[in-house]
Amino acid sequence: MILLDILSKSFWAGVAAIGFAILFNVPRRTIFSIWGLGALGGLIKFSAMYFDIGIVLASFMGATVIGIISIKMAHLRKSPPLVFSIPSVIPMVPGFFAYKMMLGLIALTSIENTDAYLQTLIETVNNGAKMMFILISLGIGVAIPMLLTRKESIKKSKFNKTKKVVA
Amino acid sequence: MQNETLLLYSLTNRSELLKMKRLKEDSQLVGNVLLEIGSMLMSSGASTHRTRLTMERIAKGLGYGIELLITQRALMLTITEKDQQHFFSRLKRISPHGVNFRIVSGISHLSWNVREENWSVAQITEELHRLKSLPHYPRLVVLGLVGLAGAAFCNIFGGGAIEMTVAFVATVAGLFIRQEAMKKKFNPYLCVFFAAFTATLIAGLAEHFQIGKEPDKALATSVLFLVPGIPLINSVTDLMDGNIQNGMVRAMNGLMIAFSIAMGLFAAKMILNF
Repeated sequence: MILLDILSKSFWAGVAAIGFAILFNVPRRTIFSIWGLGALGGLIKFSAMYFDIGIVLASFMGATVIGIISIKMAHLRKSPPLVFSIPSVIPMVPGFFAYKMMLGLIALTSIENTDAYLQTLIETVNNGAKMMFILISLGIGVAIPMLLTRKESIKKSKFNKTKKVVA
Repeated sequence: MQNETLLLYSLTNRSELLKMKRLKEDSQLVGNVLLEIGSMLMSSGASTHRTRLTMERIAKGLGYGIELLITQRALMLTITEKDQQHFFSRLKRISPHGVNFRIVSGISHLSWNVREENWSVAQITEELHRLKSLPHYPRLVVLGLVGLAGAAFCNIFGGGAIEMTVAFVATVAGLFIRQEAMKKKFNPYLCVFFAAFTATLIAGLAEHFQIGKEPDKALATSVLFLVPGIPLINSVTDLMDGNIQNGMVRAMNGLMIAFSIAMGLFAAKMILNF
């Protein structure tokens, strides 16, 4: 039952990735791969969270896998890796925490009761910290293949063994 | 005898001058094409590092050296010949057009074509024209699929079928308003505000009339299509690459968008509470 739940959530994460891919006007040949990558990232993130791994580390794991596979995809579908990686990780972007934090900040301007103020402050800082660290982990996760191989182009990357010339 | 030498000297000098003139014109042409490529990449959502690499690759393929200053809204380029004699500098403003990965993908191919198949400047210009005229997806497809993405977010946060429908409708309406506002050339943050306001108002109405079991889930997810994913992810990428300034600018831009979303949400909630 939990497995089914995780699978369906991953499926919908892929659908969300496609929505953003269309919004960013990606080439048509890449859409199906983006769905696959988004779903895979979601699968890894939700499974990790099921095993009680924190949301920051779980997002990092998902983003890293997306980053590595998008390099392979870049070759198969002949588009730069960011075309695959950015729409696929966007379902993981902590938009929910970002605007919770913003709402908290707005609420802080009008609260007068000290206890309520402290409570809101704690929640706002918590949401803000989560947002920031998830974002950093997504950015680093996507960039990790490049950071590890220290190559200037994916054509020379170790994650990409087949040497072909893009026509 | 002396006359002849003089004549010869003046001739070589003349051809030298002509060559210099041609080189100067060439470097101007190449410089302008490079600036065009750079500004297209930056406004289409490529990171600073990627823009720099692509421009340097193309310049190298054409036989020039370049020095670059890339900021979020302007590009500065100095182009030099191999012997460092003929150079040319220019500043170009980057006008934001909105993210377009077809252009990023096309320019990536182009840069390798220049490097490996020795494309000429004329061929590059032609390809740039073609890339600019590439179509976007039809508006209905965009609206429908982004709406589905909104429904998908709602599912991920645990909403049921009714909440998903509400999120779908709210997202489509919000995106439609945003597109219309963009067409009327409103301030971009104001466009986001309008979109967030519309989406929240619709999802909030569903909450008001108690449609579905957990209407707050639809409310929370109906604005997620506006999240500034590209500014925020590119900001982290830029900061990691050492382009601290651009990274900060992008992060601030992302926060401004998040703030506009929150404002739209706030406004709609105020109206519904009355």
